[in-house]
Amino acid sequence: MTFIDNYFSESSFDEMLDENKVIRQHWSEVLQRIETAGLDELALKQAEIDWHLEDNGVTYNVYNNPDGENDRPWRLDPIPFVLPYDEWNEIKRGIEQRAKLLNLILKDLYGERTLLKNKIIPVEVIFGHKGFIPEVYNLGKKENFCLHFYAVDIARGPDGKMWVISDKTQAPSGLGYAIENRLTMNSISKNLYPSIETKKLSLFIEEFKLLLKKLTKGDISKAALLTPGPHNETYFEHSYLSSFLEINLVQGDDLLCKNGEVWLKSLSGLKPINTILRRVDDKFCDPMELRNDSKLGVAGLVDVLRKDNVAMINPIGSAIVENIGLNPFMKNICNYFLQEELILPQIATWWCGQEKERAFVLENIHHLIIKKIDRTDCAQIYLGKNLSYQEIENLKALIIKNPYQYAAQEEIGFSTAPHYANGKIEPRNTVIRAYALKKEDAYTVMNGGLVRVSATNDTLLVSSGKGGSSKDLWILGEDEKIDTAYLFKRAPFSALSLNQLPTLRAENLFWLGRYLSRSIATMRFIRYVIKKLTTFYRFDETVSRESQRILQNTLTHLTMTYPGFLEEENAEKLEQYPMDEISSIIKDVDRQGSLSFTIAMLSNANINVKNLLAMESWKLFDKMQKEWNSFIRKSNSSSQTIVSELNKTLIYMMAYKELVEESMFKEQGLSLYSIGYKLESVLLLISKIRSTLCLKLDRSVTYEVLEGILNSCESFNAYRTQYKSSLHLENVIEFLILNPLFPKSITYISEALLQELKELPKSKQYLSAYEKPIFEAYSLLKLIDLSTLLELKEGSLVYETLDNVLLTIQKLFLSCADEMSRTYFSHDDE
Amino acid sequence: MIYEIYHQTTFDYQSMVTFSHNIARLKPRNTLFQKLLDFSMEIQPKVYEQSEFIDMFGNVNTHMLIREAHHSLVVVGQSRVELFPEAMEEYLWHMRTSCITYGDALAILSRFECDHLQAKQFLFDSELIQKSSENIKAYTLASFHPHRNLFEAAQEFMGRIFADFKFVSGFSDVTTPIEEIFEARKGVCQDFAQFAIAALRTIGLPAKYMSGYIETVPQEGKEKLFGVDASHAWFSLYIPQIGWISFDPTNNVIPCRHHILLGEGRDYNDISPLKGVVLSSGASQLSIMVDVRRVD
Repeated sequence: MTFIDNYFSESSFDEMLDENKVIRQHWSEVLQRIETAGLDELALKQAEIDWHLEDNGVTYNVYNNPDGENDRPWRLDPIPFVLPYDEWNEIKRGIEQRAKLLNLILKDLYGERTLLKNKIIPVEVIFGHKGFIPEVYNLGKKENFCLHFYAVDIARGPDGKMWVISDKTQAPSGLGYAIENRLTMNSISKNLYPSIETKKLSLFIEEFKLLLKKLTKGDISKAALLTPGPHNETYFEHSYLSSFLEINLVQGDDLLCKNGEVWLKSLSGLKPINTILRRVDDKFCDPMELRNDSKLGVAGLVDVLRKDNVAMINPIGSAIVENIGLNPFMKNICNYFLQEELILPQIATWWCGQEKERAFVLENIHHLIIKKIDRTDCAQIYLGKNLSYQEIENLKALIIKNPYQYAAQEEIGFSTAPHYANGKIEPRNTVIRAYALKKEDAYTVMNGGLVRVSATNDTLLVSSGKGGSSKDLWILGEDEKIDTAYLFKRAPFSALSLNQLPTLRAENLFWLGRYLSRSIATMRFIRYVIKKLTTFYRFDETVSRESQRILQNTLTHLTMTYPGFLEEENAEKLEQYPMDEISSIIKDVDRQGSLSFTIAMLSNANINVKNLLAMESWKLFDKMQKEWNSFIRKSNSSSQTIVSELNKTLIYMMAYKELVEESMFKEQGLSLYSIGYKLESVLLLISKIRSTLCLKLDRSVTYEVLEGILNSCESFNAYRTQYKSSLHLENVIEFLILNPLFPKSITYISEALLQELKELPKSKQYLSAYEKPIFEAYSLLKLIDLSTLLELKEGSLVYETLDNVLLTIQKLFLSCADEMSRTYFSHDDE
Repeated sequence: MIYEIYHQTTFDYQSMVTFSHNIARLKPRNTLFQKLLDFSMEIQPKVYEQSEFIDMFGNVNTHMLIREAHHSLVVVGQSRVELFPEAMEEYLWHMRTSCITYGDALAILSRFECDHLQAKQFLFDSELIQKSSENIKAYTLASFHPHRNLFEAAQEFMGRIFADFKFVSGFSDVTTPIEEIFEARKGVCQDFAQFAIAALRTIGLPAKYMSGYIETVPQEGKEKLFGVDASHAWFSLYIPQIGWISFDPTNNVIPCRHHILLGEGRDYNDISPLKGVVLSSGASQLSIMVDVRRVD
């Protein structure tokens, strides 16, 4: 074949070609297809894959750095990693055996400790390892304290056998990526690799669900996937898995412990949880008993585990068996527990806690790989051959000081597999991550896995954190045909009723609405103020100056960036150079109330509800944020630049708003967003009116101020259509406050809010605490008439009745927000 | 000898707390040399739920959930403890006469044996105590020669800490690095205990943190005021094949008649009297009042 002529592997073993450069039989069909298609076609397929992954939002680092530096797209090779079923079966037996062993070790170390008592493992390997958690001591005896889910990295050694590289036990990652890789490959396989049959992954997902079903005692709604949250680099996967497994995706703050049990805070109250699939590391799981500074865990979780009221996949403490210090003893452990020989070979490992071994390591350090036995705080790996004299000496000193913490491994050249990159096919080192689930007393291994490919063809270290690509693992052979489409639906798993909506998400949606409303209103108002400022000299100076001052003060009130324009000491400077202050209100992200601050808060809420939103809205938001951040970093922008930036960002915001509103059902939580948006709109409108229209002003000033208020609400045209007259205070007040038909009026919004509040889970036939204030505000507005509102006392400079009514309404709206939190977000009295 | 101990721990919070999980360790444990006769615990505000468990180090932990809105949490432990100084003296005499050398101890500990299983967990770095520098190692080894009786060496080491370090409160807290304590040669009982433990672990000996109380005697002719005592800390060293023995470097004594043990662990964190997690913004402050009185 043509491309094979240029394929030359320096490795002692290549997956595709044997030592005589003859294609291994199980690769022949895949290669034939590639040969038939040609490299150009492969390039097209690669592009198709990239597009798929991009379109599905599969990124390794899902949290987009606003500067765009950390985006590391997930990459998938169009060439799979192929294994024949017979060989895989043998490997599977080895993985099953190892999972079984690690489970027995885990239970023993936190239970009877016979391995220590019978001198099969030196105690130093355990107590000197940071993954040992004294808090779960004695829990190994509980039935559900076991290694439910296990992953192992394996690679082919020079002898052609698959070797164990490392064990993943506390929160194995990558399964979601393996599934996504398979689904993506399916989309190109139909015409690139027609008729090649591979074993399916779906059976494993079914097994996973069965396990959850068993642990939850039949009620899978009592299971939750505990994620560190959207800032975690593999959040995509957490969200993805929770949707396949149809379980709640929660963060630590979503849960609480009481009555010795775990509860999920949801809008309709606390719901029991008895099974946690966790992606939070051991020590972060419980700030009370474990790391006190953890924000990712649930206070009291260890105690619930102690009381045997929660099953964890995997239990806290599992990191102890992610321990290469165990390797030298695995043979004896296997013999002790199972009276068997190890099936999968391990890399020769010397644990430095033993004198002879330590001496050997210190002697041969130049051609060994040195690692810490635990990788809980640092995953540093030392390649002896790459170290300078001084580095070697330093490393030796570290080993001598804490010998138990170090182990050395032989450097092995692992096999290479063909990889498509830069228009050609090259050999690259690969590592397979395989997955196993506990089923009764045995383990089930997934017929597939995640294959990671080294970044260059001379790197031994393969890590998804360090660039590189991935492959789908194909186990050749037919599976019984089952309809799996339903398994892999992409809809985020979320409760289809507001009752089950997790509180934290509800709260984030509520704030998403509030911050979005605030961002939009602030932006519009600032834009208006700047526009006024730049055209300022065209008009009669005294009048405009007065209205300008009022608008600027309003800006300070609206954003609550006090003292701002109200600062008397600085009055002169503020009047002469208002743009300095305005610029700070726009750009200063550390200034509470500033536009950038509000956008940052919005961004936070956006990230936290990301998995409910459509892909377009993520992309749009990321784009907006990147452009905004690069804008605010620039100093000395001209007024025109600022206005055009505001124009652009407003368009993004409005598009984002539309996407949010159309991509979510009310039952998924849109109601919360919408209530938040409305409450905030009214509060901001009141703030604007109180600092402008409540003042008795000269006619010409009044005109400008009215124009400003209407413009900043994007309501000027609507007003004109409605009133067909020039600007009058009475009309504008009627329009913005009392008009029952204009969707931005306070009356209209109050009425709409009453309806939406009624739909919340705790609303009853009679008014709840959070409905009452809005009802009161609504009645007040309905009962008052315009002329009363605009009464002006003799000699007064303020429309007092108007101001008082608005103040009352403002308080009522704030009280509604407070009552909402009390009723739905705090769970204080449940 | 019977002692009555009053130990009050208070958390004051800057803002209102409506939900807090806490663990209190205020119930003294039973040993060969002391017996808990009576114990009661009072908690303000009212607890929502409360349960007890024994941790890996044998300490009694009380887990409390509080769901009433509160600005401060007060936990008072009151205990009556009987000491058996004669038993202790007999044990000490046995220790003194049968003690092995430092060199032997290291040799025994390096063997692959399970006798030391419990002891060896006190040989490794813990959250607050890490293996220390060469300077501290050298300072320590001045007392520990391979051929020297381990008991004697440890007693001398305790005496040197007592002589070389000044008791100064306010300089440090439990998180102050041991190197800093050594550098300044000052601190309080917790620092001396943690320093000694770090030093002993560094030279290969298991050592644990002991938390408890010590009776203080007022000046001649003056009456003892209520609540003027403090909680106390010292360390315990493991002598292979023989057992644990406690040393109080703050007072340069081997605890016997005046020390009441509350609990033990790898460092302060394993036996802190009260720890909690609150759902609230703002800081919290911990304060303590202790009274120790011999009643019989």
